[in-house]
Amino acid sequence: MRYIRNILQVWYAELMQVSHNFGLIIFSVLVPLAYPLLYTFVYTGETVREVPVAVVDECHSSLSREFVRKVDACSEVEVLYRCDLAQAQELMRREEVYAVMRIPSSFGRDLAHGQQTYVSLYCDMRSMLYYKAALVAASNVSLDMNADIKVNNYLRPTTDRQAEIMKAPVTNSYVALYNPQSGVASFLLPAVLMLIIQQLLFLSIGTSMGVFREQNRGVGIPLSNPFYRSPVCIVLGKTAFYAPLFALIGVYMYGGVTSWFSLLSLGDYTTFLAFLVPYVLACTFMGITMSIFLFRSEDSMLLYIFMSVPLLFLSGMSWPVASEPMFWRCISWIFPSTFGTHGYARIMGTGATINEVAWEVRNLWLQCAFYFMTACAVYYYEVHRLEKRLRNNG
Amino acid sequence: MTLFPKHKNIWQKIIMLCVDDVKEYIHRPLVLFSLLVAPLICIFFFTSLMMAGLPTDLPAAVVDEDDTQVTRSFIRTMDAMEQTDIVAHFHTFSDAREAMQRGEIYAFFYIPKGTTQEAISSRQPHVSFYTNETYFIPGALLMKDMRLSAELLGLSLTRETLYGKGLTPERAMGILQPIVIEKHPLGNPHLNYSVYLTNIILPGIIFILTMLMSSYVIGMEWKKNRQRQLYREVGYSQTTALAGKLLPITLIYSFFILFIDVYLYKYLEFPCHTGIFPMFVTGVMGVLASQGLAILVFGIFIGQMRFSMSVCSLWGILGLSLSGFTFPVSAMHSSLQTLCYLFPLRHYYLIYVNQALNGYPIGYVWSNFFALLCFMLVPFIVMPRYRKAFLVTKYKP
Repeated sequence: MRYIRNILQVWYAELMQVSHNFGLIIFSVLVPLAYPLLYTFVYTGETVREVPVAVVDECHSSLSREFVRKVDACSEVEVLYRCDLAQAQELMRREEVYAVMRIPSSFGRDLAHGQQTYVSLYCDMRSMLYYKAALVAASNVSLDMNADIKVNNYLRPTTDRQAEIMKAPVTNSYVALYNPQSGVASFLLPAVLMLIIQQLLFLSIGTSMGVFREQNRGVGIPLSNPFYRSPVCIVLGKTAFYAPLFALIGVYMYGGVTSWFSLLSLGDYTTFLAFLVPYVLACTFMGITMSIFLFRSEDSMLLYIFMSVPLLFLSGMSWPVASEPMFWRCISWIFPSTFGTHGYARIMGTGATINEVAWEVRNLWLQCAFYFMTACAVYYYEVHRLEKRLRNNG
Repeated sequence: MTLFPKHKNIWQKIIMLCVDDVKEYIHRPLVLFSLLVAPLICIFFFTSLMMAGLPTDLPAAVVDEDDTQVTRSFIRTMDAMEQTDIVAHFHTFSDAREAMQRGEIYAFFYIPKGTTQEAISSRQPHVSFYTNETYFIPGALLMKDMRLSAELLGLSLTRETLYGKGLTPERAMGILQPIVIEKHPLGNPHLNYSVYLTNIILPGIIFILTMLMSSYVIGMEWKKNRQRQLYREVGYSQTTALAGKLLPITLIYSFFILFIDVYLYKYLEFPCHTGIFPMFVTGVMGVLASQGLAILVFGIFIGQMRFSMSVCSLWGILGLSLSGFTFPVSAMHSSLQTLCYLFPLRHYYLIYVNQALNGYPIGYVWSNFFALLCFMLVPFIVMPRYRKAFLVTKYKP
């Protein structure tokens, strides 16, 4: 009973502190509500369409014009200019077009002679998405025209059905599972949302520790509060405040942000909750552990803000885990976000059940256990310092 | 803090302020961490993480229900492709899908029963392939390989027909693939992701740290309640006080910009058409522009150190997205297309593309240089507010 009272008192002290400190309200409430919306809004365009390109048609035959027409008809690119090579280069420099397609003067003749002809695609590499769009458009048109040329000029079918079979003796179809438009938002945002939870938890807990230490002459525990005596109770009391708060934010991201911006949502609510609980707990315990390094209320920002960017890449959502050097893969297992981003992306994106994310959930629980012990060790150290301080004072 | 004799000139005062500051930093491990260790970690992390340039041998699987000599040879061909590594053979479609949901494979190729037989008897069989697009880069790379394999499967059948009609290989290729697309990815011929990302992420992180540390050291004066003393010592000049406070940060982060440029362009040999000097100048302008923004933010929310730091960090992190190097600005909402000009990193990115990546004349990006210059001058708008702040305003937690 005494323990429960201690835990409740710690919880209450944390609540009072956050509600009276505007800086803490920002990180615990305002930013978690607003930042996901802003971030999603940036990527809500999902894909790049109608990339401006210039075409240099040196052939001017009916076939080359057909090529240009078909390229223009692709959703990926838009033929803005038809000009000569020098003009196209100037357009590239002025950033009016991001790719140039050059059809050689021998285009029509080569095709008539049954020889291969080469269309050059020059692309500005400022963004992979521009390159991908231009390449997909050019490849699709060339495949399409190749099939026509092959069948009509050489194979000479007798029936329409035979022509179809000759064009494609084996047909194929491609399905982009779980993200049909291959959108950027659908792949990036699950990772970002989970990372936001972790980073803001770290920031809130770190700032709160900094404020306590500023108010209590360097000790992370209120000097005069008699309820802060057992490390386990302090850790549980703090967790009882932060974990439910950020679990609610997780639900807000799952239920709110995802549906408002029509992101993928194949997940099952109970699976999500079964995954969210260890994630938030692991983040909380790790945040409490790391707060030992923070002595002022601003310190947490210096430590955590820059980390967000490397952590996003460390998680392996963007740069594939299979190509990650072993050293960094091991480092990534320190952070809950690594398992959090993968788990969330697969639950939300691919509709994975708890069986498919068992590895992630198990590791999150392992992290919980480990960081709970380290968090208790941190407060054991703090209580020890406090007692020493009190003894010295008399 | 030392008291300055009256006769010292402005430069001496600034240098004295810097020396005092550096002495103070040495006793704060976390400040030293942000100034020296954090940039080093990031530089080492990003360059070593993406050392491979382009991911290769990504795990994929096949569901081969047909299981004939033809399909097996086809699978071997696909496995030999650069980006594909066939790690598993599944018996059913749902087994493969579950492996995908477990995150073991990024893609799989499905060959239904009877494919070979239908192909030989001209009954147009159908094959399909599936990628997990919740993982964008591996999905896109595997899609490319599988697409090529699928197209080649059909073409190889036609090729056999053509050979059967007595055509030479050159003639046959002229029929099978008359139009060939020759790719020229300008400036980054190997499609190196590290070139594409590291070049902007690293300066981006430096700019974030610059903004954060700048608002931190300015705010610290108010927090320690010694802003009036500082103001008196520098002879009641806001500019001198701020310059002295911020100069150590400018120097340290400019050094890291130089380090990044030398490391990327000389040691790792990333494309840089213009040489290091223009990129270094742009980087230093970016650092100064970030400091200008930090002074502006603190000037607006005067005395509120933590709030200014929050605004600076959110602005900096958002800059990485809105600079448009991952997701092009042209595809964003029109309001964001205007907003993105308020981020120094956006201008740095455009100058980088023009200069280092493409090597175009510098005249095409004069407006971006001008914008960075404006960011550097923007603090003068709030200088009058600083006078009041130094004399009257107290620290607000």
